[in-house]
Order: sequence, then structure tokens, then C-alpha cells
Amino acid sequence: MKRLISTLSNPKIFVYTISWMMVLVVLGTLAQRDMGLFDAQQKYFSSWIAWLGPIPTPGGRITMLLMFVNMMFFMLKPALWTWKKIGIIITHGGAILLLIGGGLTAWFSAEGTMIIEEGASSNYVVDSHLKELAIINTTPADYDQVTSVNRNQLFDNNSIHHEHLPFRLEIIEYYKNCKPHKRTSPVGGEYKGLAQNYALIRFDDEKEDNRNQPGITFKIIDAGESSNGIYSLVIGQSVPQTIHVNNSTYTLILRNQRTYLPFELELIDFKKVLHPGTGMAKSFSSDVNLIEDGISRNVLIQMNEPLRHRGYTFYQSSFSEAPGGDTTILSAVKNYGRLFPYISSLIMSLGLLMHMLVKLPKLLRTKSGRVA
Amino acid sequence: MLKILTIIGLLFLFGCNNNDIQTYRISKTTPSNQTPQQHPSHKATSSYAWDTPSSWIESAGHSMRLASFSVPTSVGDGDCSVIHLGGDGGGLVANINRWRGQIGLPAQSGQEINASAIKGSSKLGAYDMFVLINESKPETAMLASILPLQSGTLFIKLNFHSDVISEVQSDFKSFCSSFSSAGH
Repeated sequence: MKRLISTLSNPKIFVYTISWMMVLVVLGTLAQRDMGLFDAQQKYFSSWIAWLGPIPTPGGRITMLLMFVNMMFFMLKPALWTWKKIGIIITHGGAILLLIGGGLTAWFSAEGTMIIEEGASSNYVVDSHLKELAIINTTPADYDQVTSVNRNQLFDNNSIHHEHLPFRLEIIEYYKNCKPHKRTSPVGGEYKGLAQNYALIRFDDEKEDNRNQPGITFKIIDAGESSNGIYSLVIGQSVPQTIHVNNSTYTLILRNQRTYLPFELELIDFKKVLHPGTGMAKSFSSDVNLIEDGISRNVLIQMNEPLRHRGYTFYQSSFSEAPGGDTTILSAVKNYGRLFPYISSLIMSLGLLMHMLVKLPKLLRTKSGRVA
Repeated sequence: MLKILTIIGLLFLFGCNNNDIQTYRISKTTPSNQTPQQHPSHKATSSYAWDTPSSWIESAGHSMRLASFSVPTSVGDGDCSVIHLGGDGGGLVANINRWRGQIGLPAQSGQEINASAIKGSSKLGAYDMFVLINESKPETAMLASILPLQSGTLFIKLNFHSDVISEVQSDFKSFCSSFSSAGH
């Protein structure tokens, strides 16, 4: 055990990991110019392995995990726990708290938008980047059974099956950016829906992730003769693909990932106030009803005054105007690690201050000794 | 060393997100089921509703537009817009001549324009559809429909390459004919 603590608490681990994080920051900053901010974040900071060409290197997650383990084991060293080192202990505690906050944000945070037309309501947040293949059994009378396949499973040649699905899906190709192009010659009867008349053509990725149009071509197997076949879907497709299997109807949609909430927001009125005589916005606000368990309460969301409810924070982000009524666009953020950076910064400052105070008499003695 | 690797491996495993396939139920009475994305073929604003051809893809457009669509064709994507303007929006003849000018065609008289109109009807009323093609600029072809309403005028316009008119004309006409009041 002593050997384990000694190895994992080695300060060299911290030096190497912090140095490697600096390298990742530089690489990520340079990469975002060519690949866009979101992709650079995913590749260098949110990944376990960061591939530099064909070479696998530690990604941001594994580097910070190692740093966290190293600092935790450092705290287990008996020699550390003396009054003289109270400043070091507090500073390390603050740093550990910062990493815990980072972990909570990495694993449990969610960010997206909620779009509501005047008079309408919504109970889900749409992720701005992550995509999902939603397979919805719409047959039950009072509910829809949704099977959501997230982006991690959407890759070429992957086979998808699940207990809630009476058929299998084999992904032929997943496109991060594509366009449907009308086929110039007829294809075989196994091509169905959009795939019958249109082929998805792969395009280079756009730097800004939201300008990409993802698409997918897949094969449905074991769904019966009428539904087996090759299908294509693209984001924003006007008509979702519907198939019938064993007297049940399934709708397949490729869309931005949704998170359903235990409450809903109803937009009563969206207001935009302009500076007099100009087209410049002075303020935006959304008058909404927050409906939960059948109880409604009125809330005003405006700039710098977000709605905080059940861990989510809804900010007034944008809007869209149309002759028939306005639409509000709210940014929704859930981040359990939100307060950690503030608290840990205070703790680390306090630790450094205490360390300086503990060391101050010695420093003064040394200085006066030199003067003498 | 083995112990270290085991601990890191366990942390790695516990840290991985295994929820790659999730299932959940949503009530059919929840507002999400009333949003256009659940029934995208029948799209609606607060005032108007329409049926979008299956191959058309909704695009971002801009604030002036009620709706925008990318229209895939064999020679590239066409751009379809739906715009509502108050009153007659400048008038049928003035608008057609403005669009003719944009694609390099000479202006026509009101009589000539009316004669070239293809008549159509929707639940919102009758509309006039125009095919505007300049043979020397095939990439600027335009299909345009003008639908007069009590509250203003709807302008539905599709820019495309004239080589693929047979691919888009039928869908465009169906699209224009599908307009109705929201809720009907």
C-alpha cells in the first residue's frame, strides 16, 4: 500500500500531466482555426485519447483523471499532515475540488436550446451539437415509446439492436456533412423512402459544426418483407421515415439530441424593446408559464434574469419574428459543477495565503540575516 | 505497476457513458407531440399551414421569411422561400417585372404577365404561378407564385437551374396548393 501511495503521489506525475495539458491547450487552440471550436474541444479536451495523426496520445479526460488521482494520493502522504503544511493541504484541496467540478461538468452537464412559439409550449431541450437517431413506436394510444441511439453508435457498419425494437438496423454509412442528390437512374426495389430517389453525397466538414448537415444510410433487417430495405435520413428532413412491423408503426428521425424535462414552459408573450428612434435592441423578455404537476406559475425571463429550475438555467438567447407571432429561443444549461471554480479558487487563494504566512517568519529571518 | 493500471482501468470503465441507446416514453398529450417536428410533412406557423414535399429540407432562411427550404435536384440545390407582405406587396405586375429584371429578362405588360400565369388554387384562395427562365442564364430560373389574401399577400418563390424544371415544377405546384389556415 505504501508503495502504491508513493508511486501514485509522485509529484512528477503532476508535472508531466500539467505540461501535457499545456501542450493540448496549444494544439486545441491551433486546431480550432481549421476544424472549428466544437470539434477541437471534442478531439483534444473531451476525449480519452487524442489522435495526433496515427499516434494515440492521452486526451484531456485521461490527463485530468491522472492529475486528480495523483493529487488524491498526494493527500494520503502522512508526512504532509503537519501544521506547517496547512497552506499546501488547503491549496491542494482547492485544486482537487476544481477537478471534481470539471468532472461533474464533463459527465453531467447539458446545454441546448428550447424554442417556443407564442401560445405554444415545450418540455424538451435540444442539444446544439449532438445528434441522435430516434426510433419512435407511435402505436400505443396514450404514449410514444422512443428508442434513442446516440452519436456514439452512429458509425459505418455498426449493427443496432435493442429489446424494444423488433428489427435490426445496420448502418451502411453515417455522414457528418452531406447533401441529398436526385438519382439520375432508377435503383433496385430494396431502396425505400428518401433513398429511392435521392443518394446522400458526402461533403467536407464545415468549420462551424451547426453548418454541417448530417445524414445516415442504413439497412433494416428482420422487419418483414414490406419494411426490410435500405433507407436514408438527413437532419431537417421534411417527412420522417415510417415503417410498419408486426402491426406497430415506427417513425425514424435523425435529429439533434433531445432531453425531456419533468416540466414544460408555455410562451405567453415575447417582447422586444428598442432604443427610441433606432433599430437597436434595448431588451428582450419572454413571459412564460412554468407548468409542473399540473400547477402553473408565471415567470418573466429576460436578459441577465434567467429562470433557474430543477438544475436548469434558462437564459433569453434569441428570437425569431414572423407575421403570425414571435418565437423565443432560450438557452438551457444544466451544470452541477457551476459553482466549483468559484469555491475552489477561493480555497486555493486562502491556501496560498496561509502558506505564505507560515513561511513569512522564515523568509524575514533569511532576509535580515543577509542584510546583517 | 499492475495495481496502478487496474485502478486507472476501473476509473476509466466507471467514467465511460454506457447510455448509447436509451429508451423512454413520452405522453402523446405532451406539447412535444404538437410541435412541427413530430409531423414535419404538415408544417404550420401561427397563421398558415402547408404540406412540404418529401424531398425538401427546411433551411435556416432569414427573418423576412416565413419558411425556407433547400430543394435537392440532380444539378444542385434550389432555394425556396415563403414571404408574407402586407397589402398587395407592391402588386403582381411590379413584382413579376422586378424578378424578370433580376434574371435578365425584359419587362412585360400587365396583359402579357396575366396571360403567362398558370392558375392554381389552395384553401387560402386562388394563386398565379409563373415560370421565369432566361435561356442564357439557366442557373437563375425561378418559379414564383403570388397568393392574395385578406391580410396581405403570400409570395412563394423557388430559384433553381432550368435544366431540372421537370424535377421541381410538380412539387412546387403541390406545395403552393397545400397552403391553408393554421388549424384547418
